[in-house]
Amino acid sequence: MKQATLRQILIVTDGCSNSGMSPVAAAALAKEQGITVNVIGVVERNEVGEQGEAEIKEIAEAGGGLFDIVYPAQLAQTVQMLTRKAMTRTIHQVVNKELKEILGESALEGLTPEKRMQVAGMVDDLGERSTLEVAMLVDTSASMKPKLSAVQQAIHDFSISLRSRSGTSRMSVCLFPGKDKYLDIVIPWTEQIEKAHQITSNLTMSGLTPTGPAIVEAIALFNHVPLPAELADSYRSRYNETEDDDGFLRDHVF
Amino acid sequence: MLMEVNMLKAVQQNAAEKIGPRLCDVDDIQLDGQTYTFYVMEFLQGEQLDKYIAQAGEEWVPILVLQLLNRLQILHEQGWIFGDLKPENMIVTYQDKQIRLIDFGGVTKIGNAVRQFTEDYDRATWQAGDRRAEIAYDLFSLAMVMIRLLLKPAEWKDLRVQTHEIQELCAIILNNERLYPYRIPLVRALHGKYDSADAMRQEMLASLQNRKKDQTARSHVRHQHGGDSAEKWIGGIFVASLLLLAGSLYYAWL
Repeated sequence: MKQATLRQILIVTDGCSNSGMSPVAAAALAKEQGITVNVIGVVERNEVGEQGEAEIKEIAEAGGGLFDIVYPAQLAQTVQMLTRKAMTRTIHQVVNKELKEILGESALEGLTPEKRMQVAGMVDDLGERSTLEVAMLVDTSASMKPKLSAVQQAIHDFSISLRSRSGTSRMSVCLFPGKDKYLDIVIPWTEQIEKAHQITSNLTMSGLTPTGPAIVEAIALFNHVPLPAELADSYRSRYNETEDDDGFLRDHVF
Repeated sequence: MLMEVNMLKAVQQNAAEKIGPRLCDVDDIQLDGQTYTFYVMEFLQGEQLDKYIAQAGEEWVPILVLQLLNRLQILHEQGWIFGDLKPENMIVTYQDKQIRLIDFGGVTKIGNAVRQFTEDYDRATWQAGDRRAEIAYDLFSLAMVMIRLLLKPAEWKDLRVQTHEIQELCAIILNNERLYPYRIPLVRALHGKYDSADAMRQEMLASLQNRKKDQTARSHVRHQHGGDSAEKWIGGIFVASLLLLAGSLYYAWL
């Protein structure tokens, strides 16, 4: 099997979206383009509410990913575990599909436990060596403010985990809502996050949580997807701006 | 689950020194048309390490740590690290007082990214390295296990909310009379100075043998220290009385 690239969007939020298209539909769109969507709800107490929890679950299911709802202190470990589990799951699905093509329906169930253990070993090995791209989308609506230091810690911790893999890993961090778009890229794709990135300063706190539009813009970050011309133009012009105008970066990056 | 069985199977255990439970069989069972995979392991009659220490006493800590280093040496020689070392993953058997590792879900091939970890015992959380599976990764965790077992629960709790730096850990080791005797192997393991469990074991043994000598030497030092400050105190009084004398002479002269 050739070297696989696994693409994931990881959303860190604390509640319901309230602006723009349905995040569940956006997650389904991402899945169609080979990107898995995972969601972590981060809550202080039981503030996420039934509706928020249901949405988190639906986004993950439509996006072919996993979800979890945790306290800020558990965030760092959850990011790492969820990403790993989602990777294994994606590879399992691919392997199952290939096995089915070779062996027919109920292929994996037909194998002896020993053979299945070998398959699990192979999947694990593929996960370790494959290329991984994760775009992390952080909800920065007003209620998230007290949790952002935990988010920052989790980003730093996650970069260590990625660095420890055998395969190539790239990550990117975006905030939503952005200043004038749905999404602000605070850390463009990078293989090595060495510096501590300050994401807590200079935020535009608002009551808006445009999760759906943010997912759609995040899909554009993965350059294997050919963009619709309109989106490609707006995205490219924005990206160039970012590079030309150092001030933009300086706002967010220490 | 299959990965855990895989690891358990991959790790060859020598009959004299068992690392974990023996794996008896893996098979499928069909219930109501559904296939479930199950495995059978040896039943270990014993107590979780931290609970065992609470019952049997602190004097068991260095002995069980020596046993653990033996187990790890065998595991490492086969090209694996345990990964998720913590008291909750260790059982001391009632009958022969031997420590066994359970939950092989974190066992990782040396060089890959650690499959499973717990933050308190994870060197990356303590900013002392990454999560690549290395012998030194296990030895760091083991040092943390020993610190946890020898600190009072309240002291351990305090430690967990600190800034997570190893300088802090080292300061605690040097200032805590229960940890002080093992300062050499502990501090060196925290700094990743050992390239084998055997090397750490040798120094742990030496610390254990020096403990008595050390304790007397230390009380001696403390005594000397007391003498020092008494001398300073007397010196201070002497200077003060001289000043007083000079003052009164000056006054008389006026």
